[in-house]
Amino acid sequence: MSETTSLPQIPTSLASLRESFAGQSSSTRALLLMAPLIAFELLVFVIPFLILLRISFAEPSSDLIYEPGSWSVEAYAAVVDNILAFELLWSVVSYSFLLGVAVTAVTVVLALFYAYAIWRATGLVKTLLLFSVVLPLLTTLVIRTYAFTPLLSPSGTVNDILLSTGLLSESVQFVPSMAGAVIGQVYIVLPYAVLAIYSVLATMDWHVVEAARDLGASRPRSVAEVVVPQAMPGIIVAAVISFAWSVGAYAAPGLLSENITFALHVEELLLGDLRYPTAAALSVIMLLLMLVSVSIMFAVLNRFGGDFDLA
Amino acid sequence: MTSTLHREQLENAAFRAGYGALLVFMLLPLLVVVVTSFSASGRIAFPPDSYSLVWYADFFESTRWLDAFTNSLIIGVGTALLATLLGVLGAFGQELETDSVVGSVVAPVVLIPLLIPPVILGITLLMYFNEVGLRGSYASIILAHTLWATPLVYFVMRSVFSRFDWQQLDAAHDLGAGPVRSFVHVVLPNVKHGIFVGGLLAFIISLQEFVMALFLSTPGTETIPVLAWTEIRQALDPMVSVVSTFLILISVGAIIVAAIATNLEWVSKQLS
Repeated sequence: MSETTSLPQIPTSLASLRESFAGQSSSTRALLLMAPLIAFELLVFVIPFLILLRISFAEPSSDLIYEPGSWSVEAYAAVVDNILAFELLWSVVSYSFLLGVAVTAVTVVLALFYAYAIWRATGLVKTLLLFSVVLPLLTTLVIRTYAFTPLLSPSGTVNDILLSTGLLSESVQFVPSMAGAVIGQVYIVLPYAVLAIYSVLATMDWHVVEAARDLGASRPRSVAEVVVPQAMPGIIVAAVISFAWSVGAYAAPGLLSENITFALHVEELLLGDLRYPTAAALSVIMLLLMLVSVSIMFAVLNRFGGDFDLA
Repeated sequence: MTSTLHREQLENAAFRAGYGALLVFMLLPLLVVVVTSFSASGRIAFPPDSYSLVWYADFFESTRWLDAFTNSLIIGVGTALLATLLGVLGAFGQELETDSVVGSVVAPVVLIPLLIPPVILGITLLMYFNEVGLRGSYASIILAHTLWATPLVYFVMRSVFSRFDWQQLDAAHDLGAGPVRSFVHVVLPNVKHGIFVGGLLAFIISLQEFVMALFLSTPGTETIPVLAWTEIRQALDPMVSVVSTFLILISVGAIIVAAIATNLEWVSKQLS
């Protein structure tokens, strides 16, 4: 191999590359096609999380955001101590989970009802109902959230209507309050939950429900004993999504309530106080707590679905 | 007999009232946004006391909002291209080799970012981009949004590919077409609508994503939702409604285009 052959090698190497690609077995080719996706997930997801984990074990530093190369569990100890002493972090973490549970409960019930209505509807009504789910989904959650302020504030539309009809004697402060945060967050997650349940219902056979009715089941009973168990995979997805996103909610509690959630607190730690190890440790702890809660939720819902297995 | 009939009517009425109320709940906030954008005063009230187009005129004179609009478009198009490339290739590879070990690991890993609160993703990526020196670039936000958009493109494409008749690809191979040529001439024409819808979804995800962008953006790369958020926290004036109305219009336009490319019910199924 002399140096003179190196120039025309470029096109031949391209051709040989193509040939070798063509000659690959289908599994190698599949791997090559998946390679960019795998590389992306490694570089932008897996490695960043390893770095987060690493920073959570770094020593806090006064002049840098953390002490490079140091190992310490100080950040974890501080976070756990603070939670167990029922101080600020306890209220932050417990409020986040309370919001998550409240939003999930409301969302799953509403989503099941709405998905059922979409499933039963036909023609124009069905299109309209689907449109009403897809449109908010495609709108930024900042918009979805702030629109509730003129509606729910003490001098807002809802209070005006309730006052003028005489249902209320004095205005109620829906925002800022926890109720406001729950309403705003339900609005954010409801479209996803409805679609998750609807996509399962859409594959279901209506005749099974009819059969239950013919056998004398009332409508609510036919829904509870036939529709709900069959829709359980969708309900589980809806519940997990609602819960995960609501525990980590940022915009709705930030705008519609005065309580501090985990997301708002960690932003303060990171951008305000520059306490990277603490922010990282708190994030890791929250992720673990969420993982445990979701696993429990999964187990409970699965058992509930399993009892009525009609499929 | 009459009592059961009566009960059924009552149940029907309650059912209709129930989903009617939810329909109002779903659409009312968006209606508030659009209507308040035509407000004449500086305060957001619904319904407004008087109407005008002054806030629209202000929008087209505000370089800050127009810059944010450009940033959103750059990041949205970048995300759509990257997520579509990764999602389509990945799903195609998975389809060629359905029972590989790598494939069974890839699907959940691609999905997980969707289930992690965006705040945690934002923090993680902020620390990471600080380390690798990408902080403050368009690329940092595009990569973050791609993390969310790729699973959608990937699962849309998986369901599109699963309906494709793979014997056509075998036939092309038997007739002597190489893998690249057979993909372009046989597979692509059959799945181009799916790719288009996937890319459109990725674009919209990026256009509306806010928490990760809030953590990662700098004044030079501020997107529309981020600027809207900072404005809302200071004062609630109808300018945000004007911008939101534009975003809603873009989304409605996207739905209509997607509905023409396929049909609405199919899109909504893919979204979940």
